[in-house]
Amino acid sequence: MRFVLVAVALLAWEAAARSGLWSPLLFPSLARIAWELGRLLASGEFILEMWVTLERALGGFALAAACGTLLGVLMGRSAFVAGLLDPLFSGTYAVPKLALFPIFIFVFGIGSLSKIALVFLECLYPIAIMTYHGARDVNRTLLWAARNMGASRVGILRRVVIPATAPFVFAGFRVAAPVAMIVVVITEMLSSADGLGYRVIYSLSSLQTDRMLAVVVVIGGLGYALDRAVVLLRDRLIYWEKLDTYYV
Amino acid sequence: MGLARAGLLLLALAAWQLASFGGLPSYVLGPMEILKDFAAALGTSELYEHIGASLARSLPGFALGTVAGIALGLAAGASRWFDRMVSPAVFLSYPVPKIVMLPIFMLWFGIGDLSKILIIALACFYPVFINAYYGARQTRTILVWSALNMGAGQARIFRSVVLPSAAPMIFAGMRVSLALSFVVMFAAEMINARSGLGYLIRVAEYSLRFDLMYVSLVSIAILGYAGDRLMRSVRARLLAWQGESQ
Repeated sequence: MRFVLVAVALLAWEAAARSGLWSPLLFPSLARIAWELGRLLASGEFILEMWVTLERALGGFALAAACGTLLGVLMGRSAFVAGLLDPLFSGTYAVPKLALFPIFIFVFGIGSLSKIALVFLECLYPIAIMTYHGARDVNRTLLWAARNMGASRVGILRRVVIPATAPFVFAGFRVAAPVAMIVVVITEMLSSADGLGYRVIYSLSSLQTDRMLAVVVVIGGLGYALDRAVVLLRDRLIYWEKLDTYYV
Repeated sequence: MGLARAGLLLLALAAWQLASFGGLPSYVLGPMEILKDFAAALGTSELYEHIGASLARSLPGFALGTVAGIALGLAAGASRWFDRMVSPAVFLSYPVPKIVMLPIFMLWFGIGDLSKILIIALACFYPVFINAYYGARQTRTILVWSALNMGAGQARIFRSVVLPSAAPMIFAGMRVSLALSFVVMFAAEMINARSGLGYLIRVAEYSLRFDLMYVSLVSIAILGYAGDRLMRSVRARLLAWQGESQ
C-alpha cells in the first residue's frame, strides 16, 4: 500500500518505454537502465567517480558542520557575537551562493577545492542558523539550576547547552546534507572532468540516455543514503528525544 | 549594537577597498569598482533583458511548484488515504538532488524555457509540500471538533480551520522555495541557456569579463534578497493575527 504510487509510476514509465511512441533515446526502458546501472557499479572506475563526488560533498559538509556549529553556539550564547553575525547571515540567506562559483573557480582553481568551498558556504547557513536558534533558546530554568548547583561555565556548556542544542544541530545537518549533494552535482555539471555530475552531462552529450539515467539513480541513491546516515547518527547520539516526524 | 554591526560591515568594506588599491588579483574587484560597473550596467537595456529572462523562468516555476505543493500537501495532511498514496513517494524522493533531472527534462521538453520552468517547479514543490503537510497534520483536533460541533461541513472546516492553522508552515515552505527557485534558475541557466543572469555570468567567465561577472552576481543577490523581503512582508500582512516569529 505504501509504495503504490511509486510502483504505478514505474509501471507507467515501462509502458511508455515499450509503447514505441517515443524513441528509446527519450524513454529508455527500466531494463536498459538497470543493465547500465549494473555495468557501472561493476566497474572500478565508476566506483572511483562516486568516491570523488562523495569526497567533495562530505568534505564541504564536514567543514560547514564544524564551523557552523561553533558559530551557531557562539551566536546563541553571546548577544555581542549574535549582533555582529546575525544580520550578515539573515541578510545573505536568500542570496544564491551559486553565483559565486565562477569567482571561486578563479580563486580556488577548477579542481575539487572550488567545489568544496561552495558546498561549505551553502551548508554553513542552515547549520549555523539552526544551531543559533537552539543555543539561544536553551531552557532558562536548566541554566539557573546548573548555576545554582555550582556548575562552571565549561560545565554548563558541556552538560546543559550542548545537549539542549544537539537536536537543532542535527535538524541543520538534515537540511544541509541534501544541499551538499545538490551543490556538488551542479558544480560538477558546470565545470569538471570527473564526478557524477560530469558523468550525467557527458552521457547526455553522447546521447546515452540509459546510462545518464543510471547515473541519476546513483546520485539519488547517494542523496538518500546521506540523509539516512544523518538520521541514524542523530538517533544514536540524541537517544533521549525521538525525531518527531511521520515518515522520515 | 547597531553601531557594532555597521562597524563590522564598514570595516570589512574598507579593508577590501584598501586591499584593492594595494593590488588584488584581476578576478577580485574592489567594492567601488563593482558599484561603478553595476551602475553602468543599470544604464544599459541588456541587464534588464537578462533579468527579465531569468524572472520569466523562475517565477512561473515557483508559482507552479508552490500551487502543486500546497494543494497536494494539504490534501495529504488532511486525508488519510491520500496521505498513504502520495507521501511515501514524496518523502522517498525528497533527498534526491532535483537538478540532476534537468538533462532528462531537456530531452523531454526541449532546451527552451519549459524544461527550466518545470525543473524549478519540481525543486520548489518539495519544501512547500512538506511544510503544508505537517502544517495540516498539526491542526489541533479540538478546533476541528468544535467546528464540527458548531455544524461546519468538511469544506468549511478545511477553509476555516485547517488552512489557517497550516498557513504559517506553508509560508515557511514558500520562503525556502523562493530562495531555491533562484538557485535552480541560476544553475539551469549556467548549464544551458541563451539569456538570463546565469548565462550572463557564464559568458563573462569565458570571456574573462570580470566586471560583467560581478554585475550578474550583484543582480542575483539583489533579486534573492528583494524576493525574500517581499515574501516576508506578504506573510506579515496575511498572517498579522499570528504575530511575528522566526
